[in-house]
Amino acid sequence: MRQLFSPGRVVLLLFFVAAAVLPLVVDPRGHLLRVAAMVLLFAAMAQSWNIVGGLANQISLGHAAFFGLGAYTSTLLFLKLGVSPWIGMFAGAVVAGVAAALLSIPTFRLKGHYFALATLAFAEVMRVIANSWAGLTGGPVGLSIPFMGTQPAYFAFRAVSSYYWAILGLLVFVCIVFQLLARGAIGYRLRAVRENENAAEVAGVDTFRVKLTASIISAGLTAMCGTVFAQFTFFFDPDSIFSLAGISVRMAMIAIVGGLGTLGGPIIGALFLIPLEEVANAYLSSKAAGLSQLVFGLILIAAILIQPRGIMAFWPKKRRAARAARSSVAPAQAAAKGA
Amino acid sequence: MNALLQADAIAVTFGGLKAVDGVSFTLKAGEIIGLIGPNGAGKTTLFNALVGLQPLTSGKVVLDGDTVSGLKPHKVAAKGMTKTFQNAALFPDMSVVENVMTAALLRHDLAGARMRAEQVLDKLGLSPIAEADVADLTFPQKALVEMARALATEPRVLLLDEVMAALTPNEMDEVMDVIRALKAEGLSFLVVEHHMRAIMALCDRLLVVNFGRLIAQGTPAEVAANPAVIEAYLGHGAAGKEAAHG
Repeated sequence: MRQLFSPGRVVLLLFFVAAAVLPLVVDPRGHLLRVAAMVLLFAAMAQSWNIVGGLANQISLGHAAFFGLGAYTSTLLFLKLGVSPWIGMFAGAVVAGVAAALLSIPTFRLKGHYFALATLAFAEVMRVIANSWAGLTGGPVGLSIPFMGTQPAYFAFRAVSSYYWAILGLLVFVCIVFQLLARGAIGYRLRAVRENENAAEVAGVDTFRVKLTASIISAGLTAMCGTVFAQFTFFFDPDSIFSLAGISVRMAMIAIVGGLGTLGGPIIGALFLIPLEEVANAYLSSKAAGLSQLVFGLILIAAILIQPRGIMAFWPKKRRAARAARSSVAPAQAAAKGA
Repeated sequence: MNALLQADAIAVTFGGLKAVDGVSFTLKAGEIIGLIGPNGAGKTTLFNALVGLQPLTSGKVVLDGDTVSGLKPHKVAAKGMTKTFQNAALFPDMSVVENVMTAALLRHDLAGARMRAEQVLDKLGLSPIAEADVADLTFPQKALVEMARALATEPRVLLLDEVMAALTPNEMDEVMDVIRALKAEGLSFLVVEHHMRAIMALCDRLLVVNFGRLIAQGTPAEVAANPAVIEAYLGHGAAGKEAAHG
């Protein structure tokens, strides 16, 4: 962990380099690049979710709320006031952070399923508000971002590859934030909260404050993903942007399948799930209604049954085993040395 | 006088059950008080009430002049009082040193906390297992790590809930030596323990609770001779027999 070029970091670095050169080697107008962009975006979203869901094990099923708030804030600021989406992206992060703080007050006293349901309800409320407050949000019709050619100052490009690189930059940023948190004091505190909240409190951890801090950061990053998604797709509506299955559950699922609380988990999860879904849709959706979802669901169930700790569990096992091997000698020494 | 910790008629009620019923006592700096009583007497509830895990129904807890009752446990820990858990509630996905570090973060930054954690582990003879996974530890080791984690918050009052439960006599002697060394540095202890030998050897004073009430207190010798205590432990008519329980 302390070494600069640990195997994990090398793999991650290689992944980012490969991801960066991808637009140069594939058809820049092709479908593949769009799918790759979605993989990176969902990896960034799942990584944002991972800060609360993984490090603190607060399983949120409502992160679509923050995603949508980010998309709506930046898009409305641009459409109504002409504010650049680059600025709107940070405004959206602030709005989502405030929403997360307000949501935290009642929900952090809830545990497990109750917390998940409360967050789910929050996202549903946002969806209903966006659908009904047509004067502000455009209602069920959704919002469109006008095509403006390439205007970098306004986060507008002709080429898919430009968006792709912006998304990659966001993913790198989110990963850095995640790693700083995970390795910092707050990371220790969040893991303590995850593993035993009472013991954490007695050991001097302000459990409410660390959870609050983590969820504000998580919500802010998720909102930034929402802005980027809106710019990339040019269009969104309440049902898609606040979608339970399409956004909230998918974010959680990618992180869980990849490996909860790990840096690589959301990336591996997105690399596995998003293309899998694409392939299932491409080959099976014309065969029978719902067949692609059925197959996708079955594969998901199988993945979780085979490795409940996520794909990343195949990796750190080695480290844990090494640590266990070292410590198996140690108890004897400790007993010999005594207190 | 000069009580470091003062419990003033504290009570905890669950529905109709008085788990802790008007308990008052004082603890001086550098003193070790043993808390004894039959199973279910309310010892752990009393501990939880003192550190803020269990809200008081009534009464007051004062630590070095500051009222700490009503504060959350992390605030109480910051004021200088914390406890260990009966069945070693360690953070299972962390190594030994990370467990202790997390508590040391209360008063140090990351690098300082790591140093502090290593010092505490060294003091308890746990340095050789610093990098071990908590899951790989023996029960006595877990109890010691639990104690190390509590010490890492740099308390002035430490509540030990059965840290010696699974120890061999030799290990018990070692832990008692650690406790005495810490006492010599001015740390105060409140100790729940079922091993009478350990309690008698270690404690300056004993508090005896039964059904949530304080039924006796005094030096170990005084308490051992107290008929009410013998009755609580062994039942009616046993007052004449030797109370060699535990």
